[in-house]
Amino acid sequence: MEGKIIVITSGKGGVGKTTATSSIGAALAMQGKRVAVIDMDIGLRNLDVIMGLENRIVFNIVDVVNNRCKISQAAIKDRRIDNLFLIPASQSDNKDVLTTKGVQRVAKELKKEFDYIIMDSPAGIERGFENSVVSADEAIVVCTPDVSAVRDADRVIGLLYSKSIKPKLLVNRIEPARVARGEMLSHEDVLEVLSIELAGLVPMDEYVLTSSNMGLPLVLQKESKAGQAFIRIAKRLNGETDLPIEVPTHKTRMWNTISKKFGFTK
Amino acid sequence: MLSKLLKRFTSQNKKNSKNDAKRRLQFALVYDKLEINDSTLKDLQNDIIQVISRYFEIDRDALSLEIQRDDDASALVFNTPILNMKRK
Ligand SMILES: Nc1ncnc2c1ncn2[C@@H]1O[C@H](COP(=O)(O)OP(=O)(O)O)[C@@H](O)[C@H]1O
Ligand SMILES: [Mg+2]
Repeated sequence: MEGKIIVITSGKGGVGKTTATSSIGAALAMQGKRVAVIDMDIGLRNLDVIMGLENRIVFNIVDVVNNRCKISQAAIKDRRIDNLFLIPASQSDNKDVLTTKGVQRVAKELKKEFDYIIMDSPAGIERGFENSVVSADEAIVVCTPDVSAVRDADRVIGLLYSKSIKPKLLVNRIEPARVARGEMLSHEDVLEVLSIELAGLVPMDEYVLTSSNMGLPLVLQKESKAGQAFIRIAKRLNGETDLPIEVPTHKTRMWNTISKKFGFTK
Repeated sequence: MLSKLLKRFTSQNKKNSKNDAKRRLQFALVYDKLEINDSTLKDLQNDIIQVISRYFEIDRDALSLEIQRDDDASALVFNTPILNMKRK
């Protein structure tokens, strides 16, 4: 069976695309799939450092598209997670170096070799975006619960629709305590504004920064709420469609039981 | 004590600010979608001229095409002097 290409994209930068790509990719591989994560942010590569693979780069995606090497030569195998491979971006080129035709050719080959190909798209709506979505079977739009990220998400969602891709939304960096205080848009608010299907909800989590500091997979951190959220998102992508979407909460389980006992919450 | 009180007051603004965010977003997205870029507008103008020219002789230099916006409605306004009717 042919593999599936999922592009992770956003309108605004810095909302968590790279974090999502590495985590969902790693989680799918842990679920037994053969996965390639590809950094399409040409000239501003990041996925390699986030995954702790920056010392092992030999070739990159530009080399692959321009026929300077084979996919197998550019794909770096992750040592901690089986079946996970990274194809890095090039750091010296600019975004115009890839042609959509070239990307489409490589996409076809990738689909023969991997079950899932997760593409980390650059922010924005220009050439880099075009190249990332041209071969996508599915798309996940990442946004944070703030006005600029949501507005820019709407633009990207519209562009994806015009390319006959029906995207799903991932809301990242949710702060449940602030949502509860009415200081932050809830995911329901965001969904109502954007009218789009949900891929998943990821809370603000200190582990995201600390694992990226060390180049460790977030999904291997058992206590990381964001990591666990990404695992669930990957499971749903991977066919467990019945798995309910978990809404981040701000109270600990113990506090919940106590408050229930004393009637603070119903 | 005083600072606590102050905090109380300032946090009144923060509280439920998400309602503002939501309302503003809903408006912004509607407006964003009504925006047409210049080249689309130019294409539209040329198409309209072609159709109208079949029936009327118009002054191409004097015509204007623009989008007028009100608080709750938008209108496409095409304005052209007619020089002559074309008899068929
Ligand atoms: N759920 C989260 N909790 C805390 N920090 C996060 C979360 N998601 C992303 N970040 C932080 O936000 C920043 C931008 O994330 P990144 O994945 O690089 O975004 P993008 O690829 O969209 O530019 C990084 O510093 C990252 O550590
Ligand atoms: Mg990134």
